[in-house]
Amino acid sequence: MKLRKITTIVDEVLMEGGKGVDPVARTAVVAAIIENPWKDQGFVDDLGPGIDDIAPQLGELLAPRVMEALGTPLEAYGKAAIVGLNGEIEHGSGLIHTLKFGNYFRDAADASTLLPAVEKRGPAGIVFDIPLKHFTDATIRSHHQSFEVRIPDAPHADEILVALAGASQGRPQQRLADLSTEQ
Amino acid sequence: MAKIAKTLDEISVRTIRTVVEEVHSEGGSAASSPRKIAASYAVLKNPWLHEGTAASLTDFAAYAAPILAQEITSRLLEHLGDANDVEAFGKAAVVGLNGEIEHGGAFIHTPFFGNIFREILGGTSIICFSESRAEPSDSLRVPLWHKTEAATRDYYQSLEIQLPDAPHADEIVVMGLASDGPRPHPRIGDRATDPTVTLDIFQGE
Repeated sequence: MKLRKITTIVDEVLMEGGKGVDPVARTAVVAAIIENPWKDQGFVDDLGPGIDDIAPQLGELLAPRVMEALGTPLEAYGKAAIVGLNGEIEHGSGLIHTLKFGNYFRDAADASTLLPAVEKRGPAGIVFDIPLKHFTDATIRSHHQSFEVRIPDAPHADEILVALAGASQGRPQQRLADLSTEQ
Repeated sequence: MAKIAKTLDEISVRTIRTVVEEVHSEGGSAASSPRKIAASYAVLKNPWLHEGTAASLTDFAAYAAPILAQEITSRLLEHLGDANDVEAFGKAAVVGLNGEIEHGGAFIHTPFFGNIFREILGGTSIICFSESRAEPSDSLRVPLWHKTEAATRDYYQSLEIQLPDAPHADEIVVMGLASDGPRPHPRIGDRATDPTVTLDIFQGE
């Protein structure tokens, strides 16, 4: 894996809607910017070998870092793959939509649900929003949230940006009726 | 001593965001060691709206800036190590559209911020800076230079920071930055190695 840089973002929300948030709502994102492993290879039919090689390395790199950056028990999580302009979205999807990537995060967070994801292709500095859902029950409405990220200068055309996101709680000031009340 | 704020609640801070970039490779070559550069910023209510341009800004700056400097540096050091690991620093303010850039300057260009920031990070240099007034979700590129030898060219560097959802029109962003080293592959010389360059160079061949 050819790694160019790792960007970590930690967000702390102390107030929302004019009222204090207690405890402070924390969200952490860690993104790795790597060279696209299928760079200059044309259309590759079988992405399996590249996935088997790279996805576990990314999971092993990012999962402990996002837990450390969050610094509190995790309650919601998500992931992202942003492919540079010379690649296919399928390349990014290949790296994140595999248990060989996601299980590192699930194990580190004691989580059980599927990780919601954003996948897109774009120029360096593109804005993307990572969806997050509850870490053991994806139907828990209070934890549906998303986190805006823009990493200047990434991904370059031959790169892929892969990120994990974790949150300490649901939305600050969440107060919507639970899904069960509408059934 | 004058009363100062001891918590961020007392100065209406809405959010704090910390961004750390760790450069492993640049220009196709590995950095000698992963280079870390970090920014941390607080988003707080502008206390001086509707007061006009004659109002003094000193009292609230003296009250609020020290805790901002302390909370921002503590987050930078969480990611960079201790003050000995910090080699370069910078600062910035972004004022929401209802304020004056002078309001941002009151927070970052006074000793109530700068001296605390320098003392915690073990610096002596003037702190280089950027400032602007902007809509939320703009970005800002902020310069850093060496914390004790400001003219050391290898340490001239900058970081672009995205500001999602901040500052609102009645808010101010106050930011501090630090890095643990020079640029990844510095090779543009220094004052000690520069030739003499004056307008006379146009007189040659």
